[in-house]
Amino acid sequence: MSTIEKSTKAARGTAQCENTNINLLKANDYVADIIKNEMAKNGTLLINITSSAGSGKTTLMQKTAERLKDKLKMAVMVGDLETERDAARIRETGIQALQIVTGGICHLEAQMVHQVLDQFDLPSIDLLFIENVGNLVCPSSFDLGEDYRVTLMATTEGDDKPKKYPKMFLTSDMMLVSKSDLLPHLPFSVEAVVKDAKEVNHEIDVIQVSALTEEGIDQWCDWLLAKVKEKQTVSVNA
Amino acid sequence: MHETSIVNSIMRTLVNEFDAEKLSRLKGIYVKVGILSNIEPRLLHNAYSAFHLTNPGYPDAELHIESTELKIQCEACNHITDVKNYRFICDVCQKPSKNVIQGEEMLIHKVEFND
Repeated sequence: MSTIEKSTKAARGTAQCENTNINLLKANDYVADIIKNEMAKNGTLLINITSSAGSGKTTLMQKTAERLKDKLKMAVMVGDLETERDAARIRETGIQALQIVTGGICHLEAQMVHQVLDQFDLPSIDLLFIENVGNLVCPSSFDLGEDYRVTLMATTEGDDKPKKYPKMFLTSDMMLVSKSDLLPHLPFSVEAVVKDAKEVNHEIDVIQVSALTEEGIDQWCDWLLAKVKEKQTVSVNA
Repeated sequence: MHETSIVNSIMRTLVNEFDAEKLSRLKGIYVKVGILSNIEPRLLHNAYSAFHLTNPGYPDAELHIESTELKIQCEACNHITDVKNYRFICDVCQKPSKNVIQGEEMLIHKVEFND
């Protein structure tokens, strides 16, 4: 069907109109609300981790699990187009990790998260991570019912990303500048990346981290512990 | 990939909102997409044509896409600023703002049917 055929057909007859203003992501947002309620009921903190491919999401999950597994109960669901590799890597640290294979879809949708939710014993889980598909574009539009969205920005990616992918940084609560151990070897300016990120989203928090040297990992884990505590207080009072 | 799922989502939404008889007279779908929605109108048109290749329903329905520019409204002075170069800062009082009033839309804002 070509565009030309369509426009000649459209010229005849009268038409009735309905003004709708339906959000295209209405179905996604409906499921995201269900997830949100589920988390609130159980006092589980849900964090959506996004970034480009290869910026260190899985390594950060491993490091975070090592640090926090004695302090709280943590679990991870991880989205990828194919393979179980990331979930297997995270499981090596002794925490529950579940792989969502999207089969070619470039982002996770609330429906996919909801489908695997009953695999987790939520009342016993304090902190649940969703490691999104590596992509700074599409995942920014899909609310997964998370409490916080955290975006990793690796020093190897170049310091110009926040203005190139503004929606992701606008909707994130935290930017982790990862692989900071490589800074001496790269033409990457932390000052420039923070300035751009703050111009897009003045409320975004920033921590510089390295899973290798452990720079910033304490600060990251303290932030998580504080947010978990906050969530459980709200849940008890509700 | 993304645009294909958006088209599927538009069609699924219409099926949920309107009855089959009405949909058989579907003439036009008007969507509004903001610059922040990451939807590229040209690719959305292509994905829509591709949808019709595998779905014989609604052959006359035309897709109209309106792109909207990015605007913020300052919480402090209420001034509306056209955001340039993704600087989310008020033109008048220079305060940063995340209060996006236009440019994030992904809306089906009008649906047209033949009589």
